[in-house]
Amino acid sequence: MRLERIVLCVLAVLLAGCASTPVQPWERGRLARWDMRFDPDPLKAGLKEHTRFSKEGSSGRVGAAGGGCGCN
Amino acid sequence: MSEKSSSLLAQLLAATAALAGPVAAQDTGAGASVSYRHGDYDEDALAEAPLDGSDRRYRVRTEQFRLDTPLGARDRLGVELTHEAMSGSSPWFQFPDANGDPAQVMSGATIRETRREVRAAWSRERESDTLGASVSYSAEDDYHATALGLDWGRPLGESLDLGLGLSFSHDRIDPTDAAQFGRIDGAIKNTTSAYAGLTQVLDRSTQVQYGLQLTHSDGYLSDPYKRFYGGDRFLADARPGTRTQAALLLRWRRAWVEADGALHLDYRLAGDSWGVRSHTVEASWYQQLADDWRLVPGVRVYAQGAADFYAPFSAPGAAGRHHSSDYRLAANGSVSFSLDVRRAFGRWELVVGVERLRARDPIGFAGDEDPGRVSYTQWMAGFDYRFE
Repeated sequence: MRLERIVLCVLAVLLAGCASTPVQPWERGRLARWDMRFDPDPLKAGLKEHTRFSKEGSSGRVGAAGGGCGCN
Repeated sequence: MSEKSSSLLAQLLAATAALAGPVAAQDTGAGASVSYRHGDYDEDALAEAPLDGSDRRYRVRTEQFRLDTPLGARDRLGVELTHEAMSGSSPWFQFPDANGDPAQVMSGATIRETRREVRAAWSRERESDTLGASVSYSAEDDYHATALGLDWGRPLGESLDLGLGLSFSHDRIDPTDAAQFGRIDGAIKNTTSAYAGLTQVLDRSTQVQYGLQLTHSDGYLSDPYKRFYGGDRFLADARPGTRTQAALLLRWRRAWVEADGALHLDYRLAGDSWGVRSHTVEASWYQQLADDWRLVPGVRVYAQGAADFYAPFSAPGAAGRHHSSDYRLAANGSVSFSLDVRRAFGRWELVVGVERLRARDPIGFAGDEDPGRVSYTQWMAGFDYRFE
């Protein structure tokens, strides 16, 4: 539990510093880049998530259940 | 107003209209595309030879195909097809060696199986929000899963987006060789998952996503292919009939224009009603190079604590109501390094990637090393093609 507390404290400090500055629509060119997407390669993300769901006891796909047994 | 300045104004207005919807500019409004990936997942042999059974662990060859296309001005449809061919042996149970330490017994017969999955997702951009739905079906010889999902998102301000998701999966397992090995004949598992996330634009180069996911499963949650040595007899793997999981997600993206690259940092904190807790930290650097080359190196660290009922084996009569020697429920960790190389040729982009994962002691969690823990290498290669 000690590790969780440390991590949560660090996250709280980081998020407190996440104050945003207003960004106009025409200033969002960088944010629209392919490499700024949260999942630039959906097929790779799906493959990795299925592998980790099958081989790790605590991993799973964000927002989607199902996808196979994961036995063995 | 000159014709030239009028045209420039029209372009600016069009760009503004395209970007004024979701604050996190994603792949909305893009044309149709198709993608294909071939994957090859290959597990290392055990660090120590198994007490019995084959030492040739799992190998999975995967074919993935994806079509993503606009349907009119506001709708999109995505279809994914997956085929997996699996072979090899897997950990069966643990048994005390001459020193009383756990030794792994693997399945003897070589497993050969295939899995097919089809998934379709639809989304619609409305005046002030986005609505989506998905359906998927996955079939193996002994396992069938049907899943439905709904998601909804809307801006909460100039720099903040809200996203909500709900999904449900109904799974049925019919183990092979049930009579020969005393396995159950068939069972059902239901899983419901809810997700809430906020995406925030921090500045012109930075955006962050915070998410919380809750998942509840009930039904048959044990693994019918695993056994547990109870000191004087063998028992079936027995886990609780319900499991509630919670995960906190943080994903941060920052572009560096001078370096023509972007940094991705992801963190996931997870815990569940079985006592399993985990931390996952992942970092990737997306580097654009000359001549349309891209390099994406990455590193991932995973650390997990053991389930409350995990044990390699027990003394005679000491096994509790719930017991499992599945290596995935033991304290374990891993470090992996990956590299993707991408090269664009007009509308085509070729992709080759490799990830090497090594099992290691988990940082921050105590627990004995499980002899079945896995290290692996995973390759993938394929292409993306954009129609416009």
